[in-house]
Amino acid sequence: MMKKLLLFFVLFTAVFAGCESEDQVASQPFVVAFEKRSYDHRQISQNQTIQVVFSERAIAPGFVKIRITPTAAVYGLDFELFPSPEGSELVIPFASGDEGVSFEFRNLIFPFDAFDKSIRLEIVEIDYPHWNNIQGYTAAVVSFSASLGATAEPNVGGPNQGNQIYFDLSTETATEVWRDSWDLGFYAGDEFRVGLNASIYMAAKRLDATNIDAVTEASVQPFLSSVSIGTFDPVNAAYIDHPNGLIAGNAMGEVSTIEADNHVYLVNLGYTVGNTTPPTGSVAVAGSPRGWRKIKVTREGNGYKLQYAPLNSATHQEAIIAKNQGHNFTFFSFNTNNVVNVEPEKDKWDLGFTVFTNIIDGAGSYGYSDFVLNNIKAGIKAYRVNVSPGVSYENFALANVSDANFQDDQRVIGADWRDVFTGSAYTDRFYVLRDADGNLYKIRMLSFLNQNGVRGYPKFEYKLLQ
Amino acid sequence: MLAKTLLPAAFLLFGLSAFAQNDTIVSGEKLKEVVVTGQYNPQSVKKSVYQVEVISREVIDRQAGNNLADLLNQTLNITVMPSSSTGKSTVEMFGLDSKYIKILVDNVPVINDEGLGNFTDLTQINLDDIQQIEIVRGSMGVEYGANAVAGIINIITKKSSKYKWEVTPFLQEETIGNEYDGITKGRHIRSIRIGHNISPNWYAYGMFTANDFDGFLNHKKGRDYIQNDSLRGYEWLPKSQLHAKAHLGFTPNHSHRFFYRFEFFNEKTKFFNDVVDLNYDPATETNDPIANDKMYKSRRFVHLLNGSGRFESGLTYDVYASYQQQERDLVDFQYRIRSGEKFNLTDQTYESRKAWFTKGTLSNFLDSETVDFQVGYEVNEIHGYASTFTGMLPHPIERTLGSYDVFGSTEINVTSKFSLRPGARALFSSKFDPMAALSLSAKYSLGGGYDLRGVFGTCPRLPTYEELYTFFVDANHNVTGNPNLTPENGVSAFLHLGKVYRSGSKLAFDTKFSAWYLNVRDRIELISFVDDGLSWQYGNIDLYRTYGSSLTSQIHYGNFGFNAGFTFSGVSKVINSSTGPSNDDYLHSVQANGNAFYRIPKWSTTLSTFLKYNGPEYQFITTGDLTEEGGTIFRGKRDGFTSLDATVTKSFDKERLQVTLGARNLTDVTRVNTTAVQGGTHDGAASSQLLGYGRSYFLKILYKFNFG
Repeated sequence: MMKKLLLFFVLFTAVFAGCESEDQVASQPFVVAFEKRSYDHRQISQNQTIQVVFSERAIAPGFVKIRITPTAAVYGLDFELFPSPEGSELVIPFASGDEGVSFEFRNLIFPFDAFDKSIRLEIVEIDYPHWNNIQGYTAAVVSFSASLGATAEPNVGGPNQGNQIYFDLSTETATEVWRDSWDLGFYAGDEFRVGLNASIYMAAKRLDATNIDAVTEASVQPFLSSVSIGTFDPVNAAYIDHPNGLIAGNAMGEVSTIEADNHVYLVNLGYTVGNTTPPTGSVAVAGSPRGWRKIKVTREGNGYKLQYAPLNSATHQEAIIAKNQGHNFTFFSFNTNNVVNVEPEKDKWDLGFTVFTNIIDGAGSYGYSDFVLNNIKAGIKAYRVNVSPGVSYENFALANVSDANFQDDQRVIGADWRDVFTGSAYTDRFYVLRDADGNLYKIRMLSFLNQNGVRGYPKFEYKLLQ
Repeated sequence: MLAKTLLPAAFLLFGLSAFAQNDTIVSGEKLKEVVVTGQYNPQSVKKSVYQVEVISREVIDRQAGNNLADLLNQTLNITVMPSSSTGKSTVEMFGLDSKYIKILVDNVPVINDEGLGNFTDLTQINLDDIQQIEIVRGSMGVEYGANAVAGIINIITKKSSKYKWEVTPFLQEETIGNEYDGITKGRHIRSIRIGHNISPNWYAYGMFTANDFDGFLNHKKGRDYIQNDSLRGYEWLPKSQLHAKAHLGFTPNHSHRFFYRFEFFNEKTKFFNDVVDLNYDPATETNDPIANDKMYKSRRFVHLLNGSGRFESGLTYDVYASYQQQERDLVDFQYRIRSGEKFNLTDQTYESRKAWFTKGTLSNFLDSETVDFQVGYEVNEIHGYASTFTGMLPHPIERTLGSYDVFGSTEINVTSKFSLRPGARALFSSKFDPMAALSLSAKYSLGGGYDLRGVFGTCPRLPTYEELYTFFVDANHNVTGNPNLTPENGVSAFLHLGKVYRSGSKLAFDTKFSAWYLNVRDRIELISFVDDGLSWQYGNIDLYRTYGSSLTSQIHYGNFGFNAGFTFSGVSKVINSSTGPSNDDYLHSVQANGNAFYRIPKWSTTLSTFLKYNGPEYQFITTGDLTEEGGTIFRGKRDGFTSLDATVTKSFDKERLQVTLGARNLTDVTRVNTTAVQGGTHDGAASSQLLGYGRSYFLKILYKFNFG
């Protein structure tokens, strides 16, 4: 009896202790690749670290072999690498636990004497005892040409999305501007027009008055509830710049040459950048209301004169604003009552990442987060390509670009690239963009949450079509 | 259709008398069945003034259900409602959900993270140390206090053993639908129970059960799936449970008995998000997919002390004191599917209840055969916490609700055939105005084995946190709770006619006919209270009514036993909360169940089968804008379904080794189509309701080491 009892207990314990084995995920190879496809030679005055990334932490030692192919450049005369290559090949060892390796590119021709040199670095061998493959960014080029493409994560600033990012694809440069640091944009092109800061939900209504001091808080009281975005009244679309981005669609119209024809505008300054922390995956872009101004704009030579005052003020202030040649706008802030720097030169940015005021058909103006604009005012146009059998981001080539498809609209990417309910970027679409120099890029949006599921961290990938 | 054929078949079977069996086992236990629910002292079912239904240990064993949900699935007029999103299964009786039904263990309401006695997750109630389950239907406010509107389910634990040592380990393996691989798929139960008579006065037992449910995938792909196409995760969430129980009984003499019971319960339910962030890296053309997964962790502690007995004067007492708590934590984290790494992890209390409970009764003051009194008190203090994650709460809710009740009743045996039992309870609470519950029960023996019972009772139901504190107001929504809600009031009247027939030692034949009416007044519903049609608030406004009748029969003849039941009921809702169209016609439904067993003593084998038919259920549904005259109303329908279980139990080694092989849900029910779901103020209506995970098979091996 005791024997039987003992046996049972042994068996029983064995079953209790039975450990759970786990299914394995479909595996992928160990990949060694360049972090960037291209390096702008102009930006390298002395040394540039070239980063080589791994798809996962190495679990064994190995090495990667990189072939060096200079064009119109000579090793030792124009450039050097460190560590030094053996002949035309650079071998970089890595250890178990490494997540990547790097080497240094040393420029020997600064200041530059020629702009035709390029050096191509290509991974030709990975020595690693587990499954591995050469794929992805297998080569990096140091040249004076436009970027071959990259993966970028514009610093929009998390769930408050405090930054506007102006991104230049060909130089991989991002310019960062705090969203409520400006209010008005004075158009620098041929026309005389003034734009509103759509990223803070501004709105403007033309008043009958032409004398700014005659406008009082009481006289505009009837309009205060309607000159606002998100009222679900389609009429309010008239109070914002048309979201297609064409300058002719601005809310305040053209500034007349005849001083008396220029009306006073009631301006809703929108909201400050939010500062609360919303639930993970949500946004808190709108902070507190920034109040109101009355403004009047007239021409002043080849520039503008801005009159502005709080609603209840019987007097006003003035500012003379010159057109900023080479830019889309000259920007003015009511925070500093002065001109402020916002956008880079107009041919130095292609994509703008910003909170934005769009129009929903039938519901009027509506605020959007995670918006992406192409720089339509500089003529930078784009179009969307839907993934279909035979058409994918990977196989889309220069020959597939159709000129007729480019849109006269800055909202080609817009907000339709992400699904806010699942927190994913759509994978059934990508975009084609032609920059100011005529470079054609294909662009695909990858995500808008970071790895912690927090919103306001867009990530995209683009590649030069050539 | 099935119901129509089942009923005559049942009666046909009752008519049969020639079952030639040589080996007969008298189903004597049937006659001696003792119940405690609603009784002054444990007494036989037959003598009870209340109509108490008993699910005996024998039935539990034959069905081999691994929790209370499996068992009640086969019970007439009870529906088990599983939720695939929370992993909970709750009970429904007379169309009323678990807010209206109290679940007790040894007369003491059992705690869970949402309430004391109510909202019980049936899958968290383990059956291994249970002697029997007693069900009383109808409003039991006098005996069991608030929230026992539709009825109570009282679980009676084992408290003695005739052996010095009793060691009972068992293993149970189940398939989940057709999913089973012994390790990562299926259900795996390991249990051991050890009972010991320390001395003639002291008895102790301990029990430990691990129940791992690996989830039901159905068409889904589980945890390690790395596509963002909504297929990751499980249709039924995997969960693992641990139950540990201990009991210490002291019986100083025949007049007094004390016991202490301790219970620990731990559960982990895993939720795998079907949204996968592929986290693609163009540089390496590889991905590192991440999902926002969750885990719910529940912990329950129960301490219960009971003393009962009889003084020399005849005065009997029964006193309970208990402290219980259950907490549910929400663990939220990001999961790297390839590496299994968890990061950005937060672990916070999701919801909890902590309760002090005491109840005491004194009876048999006069030691008279004709008149008996019982007086008692019941006091509990429930400390509750609900985080904002539990629903639309503006901030975490933390509050303590005290209930202080006194009650009394008298049982008068007017004649030897006629007994009457009026009762009343006064309910005082720290939050609500004083309430009252009343009851009047009567039993009349008509002779010839016929008994007639009438039971009238009332019971209040207290508002829930959701009803009191919901706050969901933004540009598009305005749904608010109402802290000024008053309790709902349930009233029920039942009439039971029972007939017991015995012939010799072989045949036992019990039949019972019941009819009832139950209504809930001041029912709490969401009301559209502002004319903009967008603002909703909970209010005491509606009336819920149900009536019905049932016929159940049990026949035991020798080694053969057969039970069958049929019920017909109607439900009507007078909806004052809707300004749109409504319809308070009665909507009818039927349920039928039957189970049969046959013992083959020569082979030590018992064959059992359990069948339950749930007829279609209807509900009036409004479509279109609920608040406008243009809204239309139609009769939504949830299709009927049948569940069928079957088991074979065989004993070896002088009854010590028991092997049960069984199948549950042989009719393979997973979802039933329904149009009877009202869309909420914001959600659309579902088109099918999850009910099961399909046909599954199980094997249970139990060994009894009894010695001394």
